Amino acid sequence: MMTTVQTASKKKGRKIGKSWTIHLFPIPALIIYGLFVLYPILAALSYSFYSFNGFSRESFVGFDNFVTLFTTEPYGSMFVNAFKHNILYFALQMVAMNGLAFILAFIIYKKVKGAEFFKIAFFLPRLLSVIVVGFLWKLILNPNFGTLNMLLGKLGLEELQRAWLGDPNTALISIILVNCWFGLGFGVLIFLAGFQSIPGELIEAAKLDGAKGMTMLRKIYLPLMVPSIMIMTVLTFIQSFEAFELVYAMQGSMGEPYYSTDTLAVFFYRLAFGSSTSGSSDALGVGSALAAVLFLFILICTMIFLKFTNKKEVEM
Amino acid sequence: MKKTTKYLVLFLFTMLVTFVLAACSDSGDDTATNDNNSDSDNGETATEEKVKLTIGSWRTEDVAKYEKVIALFNETNPDIEVEFSPTKNTEYNTVLNTALQAGEGPDIFHLRPYAAGLKLADAGFVEPITDINGLDTFSEDYLAASKGADGEQYGVPLNISSTQFFYNKKIFADQGLEVPTTWDEFIEVNEKLLKADITPIAMGTKEGWLLSLSHGIVGAGVLDGNAFAEKLVTGETDFSDPAFVESIEAMNDLKKYFPANSEGLGMDDIRTIFAMEQAAMFPLGSWEIPVVSELNPDLDYGFFPMPSKTGNQSVTTWVDGSFAINAKSKNIDAAKTFLEFLTTKEFGELFVDEFKMISAIPGITSDDELLSELSKTVESSSTPYYWVINFVSGDPTTKTVLETELQGMYLGEVTPAEVAQRVQENAETSFEPFK
Repeated sequence: MMTTVQTASKKKGRKIGKSWTIHLFPIPALIIYGLFVLYPILAALSYSFYSFNGFSRESFVGFDNFVTLFTTEPYGSMFVNAFKHNILYFALQMVAMNGLAFILAFIIYKKVKGAEFFKIAFFLPRLLSVIVVGFLWKLILNPNFGTLNMLLGKLGLEELQRAWLGDPNTALISIILVNCWFGLGFGVLIFLAGFQSIPGELIEAAKLDGAKGMTMLRKIYLPLMVPSIMIMTVLTFIQSFEAFELVYAMQGSMGEPYYSTDTLAVFFYRLAFGSSTSGSSDALGVGSALAAVLFLFILICTMIFLKFTNKKEVEM
Repeated sequence: MKKTTKYLVLFLFTMLVTFVLAACSDSGDDTATNDNNSDSDNGETATEEKVKLTIGSWRTEDVAKYEKVIALFNETNPDIEVEFSPTKNTEYNTVLNTALQAGEGPDIFHLRPYAAGLKLADAGFVEPITDINGLDTFSEDYLAASKGADGEQYGVPLNISSTQFFYNKKIFADQGLEVPTTWDEFIEVNEKLLKADITPIAMGTKEGWLLSLSHGIVGAGVLDGNAFAEKLVTGETDFSDPAFVESIEAMNDLKKYFPANSEGLGMDDIRTIFAMEQAAMFPLGSWEIPVVSELNPDLDYGFFPMPSKTGNQSVTTWVDGSFAINAKSKNIDAAKTFLEFLTTKEFGELFVDEFKMISAIPGITSDDELLSELSKTVESSSTPYYWVINFVSGDPTTKTVLETELQGMYLGEVTPAEVAQRVQENAETSFEPFK
């Protein structure tokens, strides 16, 4: 590290005339970043302070759009409804996806037979496009021709057969579980990398001291896995609160049936671009306000998470 | 040598930046560049010879069909060159709005029907065409789809969508059933089919738009279509009318005739059920005819207009799209010539044969028996589909509220009376006559 800095400064001293060109090279990347990342974010933020008529911006209205979003019906109750679904999305993914991924990664780490095969098998769904995944599971979950209900029938479990995506009690949970199936492999990879980075001598020392079974897991593995767990928590959190594609692919922009699969991002899409069936919407301003709220919420929560992680890492 | 390398690097870098910037400004608006092209064409040849028109539309699937339309147009108007350049359906509104706001866009464009399209006319983006020839062929109702608040005509209506019950002729014959002509007969047919262990109606409630669509059909049976629609549109009655609540209840009562798990069935599912002869009736739109026939070419099916409690029958109709002229077009006269062509019988016949849709021009017959019969019924006994015609404003729109609440009703979350109440509450905020 030190040597590179030294050589760089030496070179700088020698050829001061040439070095300025180097600073030009990030400019293309910066332009693209500014145009496609920074500008849209700032534009969306500024849109949230204007009223809209169709796609044309009208007058500056201050915080009116935010007030409308939280106090005017049906926006207010839709927001709360969608927010609750996002929380369920996060909670269920933490348990079903990350919990399972942790266990599977541990088993693969322990070198079971065919570990390599399982590693690939778990990751395979991740290679499919989300739209394909949504379509595939829509077919599997179809109440009358779907394989799931057919399987339940063959097993004699007819009372469990239902319209999985049409029943408000099961629709959201079905979608979240599909998302877990989709994201499982990624979690396994992260956790596996975490396990593999634990120094072998540490484990050997613990074994010599007589630790085994649950003690081993609780005192050695879990504390050392905190960074991986934190990374997965943050990623799952962001992904849960931005959940859109699967819901849109499987249930459309209305969060059907009866708003039971609505999430904040789907709600945003509906506000800003109108539902697929009812033509255009005039709520681009309110939609931008929702996007701003969502962005700030995710940003703040992620920062808190990361701060927590850093502290944990220092403690260790 | 070193100096040249430096300049070379600098040169390459400048190239890169310019390229990136140029690429960005280009990708901004495709229609803009199209339009520029056509403009420069005109510049060269403006005074005489060929004029070039571009047509914008959301029908990307119809490029080949529009080529035939343009060929027919050129037989009588060889001096006007026409190019059909559609944009993907879901992106059409955005692309068109952006182009219009920049003072660009195609010369002629496909106008969404009713409020959505008229918004553009009210904003001054559409050229009034009240003075063109041929508009008198259309009925007032169809012209209203693109008539502005100022009384000017802004579009030539293209096609009519109609909704009605399709039925499987073979199943009806096997069960000895007649096409129902009254509401009671309709219910009787359903009961008989149910007793014979045949699903009477292929219908699902998973997709909201199917629900407003079927209320358009079933509602006409309970509400005596036209009479209620007229009173509703003028504000003489509203959705708190007991008759309206009754129409919602009637829809709820039909659930027992739907397939199992109907709450989880969408458009593709119910079409398959009907096409594969697993259900006897199918409440849907005229646009489904080519799709169903393709799924099962051997299916022998017909349609019947909704029989009402008062004894008359009707199909529910609306204008699905119009063609309008860009107010900023450089070739307004040529564009008007093209729009006049769209009002002729020759175009109407080609349209029905090629597009398999119902033309807004009256008296057009087709080789397709089902379509011909349907066209006749549309002319003789139709009721307006007021959910699309009058209730697509507000946020969410009144139509969307109806869809969501009907879905809730079929799931047992709300009662028919509550559905009517919530629809009324929304309409009061957005529908002028109710305010």
